[in-house]
Amino acid sequence: MKKYWIIINNEIQRQFAYRIGIAAYSFGNIAEVIVMVVLWSIVYRNIETIHGYTAKEMVSYLVFAWFFSFLTTTYAFEANIAKDIQTGALNNMLVKPISYLRYMATVATGRILIALLIVLIQDILIILLLRGRLIFSADVSKIVLLLAMLSVTYLFNVLFSIGIGFLAFWTTEISGIYYALKVLRNFLSGYYFPIVLLPVALVKINLFFPFVYTAYIPVQLYLGKISFAEGLRGLAIEILWLVALYVIIKIVWRFGLKKYESVGI
Amino acid sequence: MAIIEIRNLSKTYEYYKKQLGLWASVRGLFRREKLYKEAVKEINFTIDEGELVGFLGPNGAGKTTTLKMLSGILYPTSGEAKVLGHIPWKREPKYQKQFALVMGQKNQLWWDLPAMESFILNKEIYEVSDADFKKNLDELVELLDIKDILDVQVRKLSLGQRMKCELVAALLHKPKVLFLDEPTIGLDVVAQKNIRDFIKQYNQKNKTTIILTSHYMEDVKELCKRVIIIEEGKIGYDGDLVSLIEKYAPYKVLKITFEGEGVKEEDVSNFGEVHQFTPHSITLRVPREKAKNVARDILSSNLPVDDILIDEVDISDVVRKIFSNNQIKK
Repeated sequence: MKKYWIIINNEIQRQFAYRIGIAAYSFGNIAEVIVMVVLWSIVYRNIETIHGYTAKEMVSYLVFAWFFSFLTTTYAFEANIAKDIQTGALNNMLVKPISYLRYMATVATGRILIALLIVLIQDILIILLLRGRLIFSADVSKIVLLLAMLSVTYLFNVLFSIGIGFLAFWTTEISGIYYALKVLRNFLSGYYFPIVLLPVALVKINLFFPFVYTAYIPVQLYLGKISFAEGLRGLAIEILWLVALYVIIKIVWRFGLKKYESVGI
Repeated sequence: MAIIEIRNLSKTYEYYKKQLGLWASVRGLFRREKLYKEAVKEINFTIDEGELVGFLGPNGAGKTTTLKMLSGILYPTSGEAKVLGHIPWKREPKYQKQFALVMGQKNQLWWDLPAMESFILNKEIYEVSDADFKKNLDELVELLDIKDILDVQVRKLSLGQRMKCELVAALLHKPKVLFLDEPTIGLDVVAQKNIRDFIKQYNQKNKTTIILTSHYMEDVKELCKRVIIIEEGKIGYDGDLVSLIEKYAPYKVLKITFEGEGVKEEDVSNFGEVHQFTPHSITLRVPREKAKNVARDILSSNLPVDDILIDEVDISDVVRKIFSNNQIKK
């Protein structure tokens, strides 16, 4: 559909208008990965393995989890949705013959493309720099599966951001909720460390949440800690979660609109 | 043919009471008192094809709420409305392709890009053919004289230029119905006039049915033959602009000038309500039917009258009075 292409096109142009725009986010995150690598290197000084992770596996885990997470982030797209709702800019979209959900998902995608390119170059440089301490293990089928997983993760993140943004229907300020959820999500998804370090019960519970499938499982697949078949199963579960999230978002949207209509922003 | 039909349309908003003070705020986290505001109460009207109707009323009277319901942004609490045979709040694309809403206070253009990019996107959203797009765009650009600003970032345009671009964006799909909510707000007099002239020409040429709200009497005087006055959610008046004066201004104005020493206020106050007073010129308000008699009485009195003029109250004054005194009576 041509309109979606034009939205992406406009959003890319807009990023250029802001020169670096959201790409600026990515620079600070180099510091984050360096801190984690340094910290774990110290921990491993006198230890061989932790929960089956050697030092090299741990550093690889962290760097690739970090890499995958920046390939799939929406850069706080929640705020755009919330702004539309708070300022009533949503009105402009409600009167047009286009779905707001699809429109915003497209905007979100156009918005990240430049940043994605920068992150890709920047992160590959970091990975090359640390190459002596990383495990490289990928064949074509694994890469295809990983790409599929990351694509689903991206879509999941977009819908999740839109869903959090929709909370602005009920509460005008979402930045607190956004921050809390972001940290919780990073924790649950295994972005900070492999979730096997957690107590067994927590790990089991966590497998019922969608977040492990967005980071932990893909990295496990990459490191060869789970089989290709298990990876496929992870992808299937992630897709199910994506569908579930879509349904939830639709419901939230319906209730949110009702609220919006009754308050009349 | 009736394009817009509204029957017993009402809209009640919910909101929460916020009491003053810190303690009340803390309590408010747990228990809030829900209040209701009836923004629109059982209004009725119909508008025919090609009409340009002025929708007047003070702030918070329910004008924008009504337009939002007609655009499908809000569900009504009760009542019915049909625009072009569609129920607006069903938000059917078929209806959405046939109307446009322009709000002077909100913009739909992409802020960081030239207006042209937003036009192209609207072309796709509204599924306008290449040929129609070119034809409509050329016509609008010509009428509004904005050829040289199409490739300037919207954020760098003046308010007047931006409003023109907003109008183009809204009209590219040739809507049959157009809702204009304060299209001239914040503009300087020249820009106001440009927008006004454009609306007038566009309405005449395309027979577009238009509802216009504005706080500027000039807009209304210039554009609308018919006005609907809404106040506290109710329709107070629906009819010709000119008849408004007769209904709501039951007086005429007598402007009298005096020669020589002039007059004292107590000399003239028993002839009518003194509106302005200087010893040499006064303005009196007298009931419409008594105007002639009072004029005659003044002339035959021993006051040093130089000149006397019987005039209608200015329409802006009438509307202003209606707005400020809540004087609409059913």
